Amino acid sequence: MLAFELLLQGLVQGSIYALIAVGLTLVYGLLRILHVAHAGLFTLGGYIGVLVTNATGSLALALLIAMPAMGLFGIAIYRTCYQPLLGRPPYVALIASIGLFIMMEELFRLIFGPYGLSYVAPPLQDPVGILGVNLKQAELAAMVGAVVLIGGLAFLAGRTRIGTASRATVTDPKMAEAFGVNIARIRDINFFVGSALAASAGVIVALLNNLVEPTMGSVPSYKALAIIVLGGLGDLRGTLIAALALGVIESFGTIYLGSFLDRDAIAFAFLIAVLMIRPQGLFGKA
Amino acid sequence: MLKLENLKCGYGAFTAVHGLSLEIPQGEIFALVGANGAGKTSTIMTIAGQVELQGGSISFDGRDISNLPARERVTAGIALAPEGRRLFADMSVEENLTMGGYSRPRAAEAEMREMVLATFPRLKERIHQRSGSLSGGEQQMLAIGRALMADPKLLMIDEVSLGLMPKIVDVCYDAIQQLKKRGITILLVEQNTQRALAVADQVCVLESGRSVWMGSAADAREDPKLIEAYLGLAG
Repeated sequence: MLAFELLLQGLVQGSIYALIAVGLTLVYGLLRILHVAHAGLFTLGGYIGVLVTNATGSLALALLIAMPAMGLFGIAIYRTCYQPLLGRPPYVALIASIGLFIMMEELFRLIFGPYGLSYVAPPLQDPVGILGVNLKQAELAAMVGAVVLIGGLAFLAGRTRIGTASRATVTDPKMAEAFGVNIARIRDINFFVGSALAASAGVIVALLNNLVEPTMGSVPSYKALAIIVLGGLGDLRGTLIAALALGVIESFGTIYLGSFLDRDAIAFAFLIAVLMIRPQGLFGKA
Repeated sequence: MLKLENLKCGYGAFTAVHGLSLEIPQGEIFALVGANGAGKTSTIMTIAGQVELQGGSISFDGRDISNLPARERVTAGIALAPEGRRLFADMSVEENLTMGGYSRPRAAEAEMREMVLATFPRLKERIHQRSGSLSGGEQQMLAIGRALMADPKLLMIDEVSLGLMPKIVDVCYDAIQQLKKRGITILLVEQNTQRALAVADQVCVLESGRSVWMGSAADAREDPKLIEAYLGLAG
């Protein structure tokens, strides 16, 4: 029973990792930029979630506002911060991204205060029984939400014209353009979708911890980097599996290794172990 | 149909083609031949909007397209089967064709797809296969098929025969002649001069980014030494 409970907890955590890492993978696939500031949108999504829920009492409304707002913010980050640097080596954009992330964290501290915000009346806190294991409704919502959102994304990428165009752009942007794809629009769409998903994760994490604080994004930020490396950099399916695997490994690890290895260290021990055997990541092509 | 006037193109400080002028009439096959590095590929990539135009002008269908972005040139009717084919390797044959027709309304797509698959029945057998796993010949057919999906008025094909078995080259050249009968204007870039001459109406020999001979392919066919002499200069 403990094993099943740990598995479920791991999948909840993995779902959240997946929602964050997917955006990072989309950006990396398209621009070869490690978009560290992505985690800032995750945090800001959490703040909007708490503020809107506290003001209106509706978590659904909070999601409906946070997701498109962060989507647009993501496009703004691309246009102002990355687009002017596209002709430079990738580390230039990486440094810009790290700078932007630090700036965002400090702005959150100035605007929302250093101690964080909580839900006045946190929704979805009742327990739900699943085959004898009790989960919070919020945890269940995290899993279901991730399945629905990422399922929707997979449909978009695999079954629609715009999704096909987006994948073609990842493979060969010049050729995609030669057949009529508007590359600028594809980049906007990817930033919008990835950032909106990160915002949804922010709202959920704020709900699970009943806290959103300025540095909420730092751990997910580097963990998501580990996940997209494990997933084979730019590979959506690989990212998804790596995120869930990491959630589950951490969940078991805290019980069996927790006495000497911190939860966050497990992610990187796993990363190092995998890269020693498969330098291209779990699902990357050699 | 297509008119280049004193076209100069290249990459940054490097100029690959120094002032090329030519005109391709509607419905003809025009062959651009010459040695490696003569500027053939740079020329067609500039027509497609992929290489920087450094001087001169390109007009197509009576309209100056010199400054048109690449993605609007395909809408104007110019499609490309590029050097090295550059298929979307992770995608299926079907998805590559979809991308080829991306600039056209969805309704036109089914019709074009039927035409392409009738031209290259091999692609129909491989429709769900990953394009990266196709043989070289099948990849070339797909590259041409993908360009045809754009329903072009001008089709540009770079190195049809490169690395292919003679039998497959025959299939591709048969297709090219069929396409001419459909009224499509074709610009061929070839190192295999004889293959190109056999189907072309006009030929231009490029050497170090300049045209050294231009004329009717029939003349060149009658006097094989004519072109060889110029190619000899280039080689």
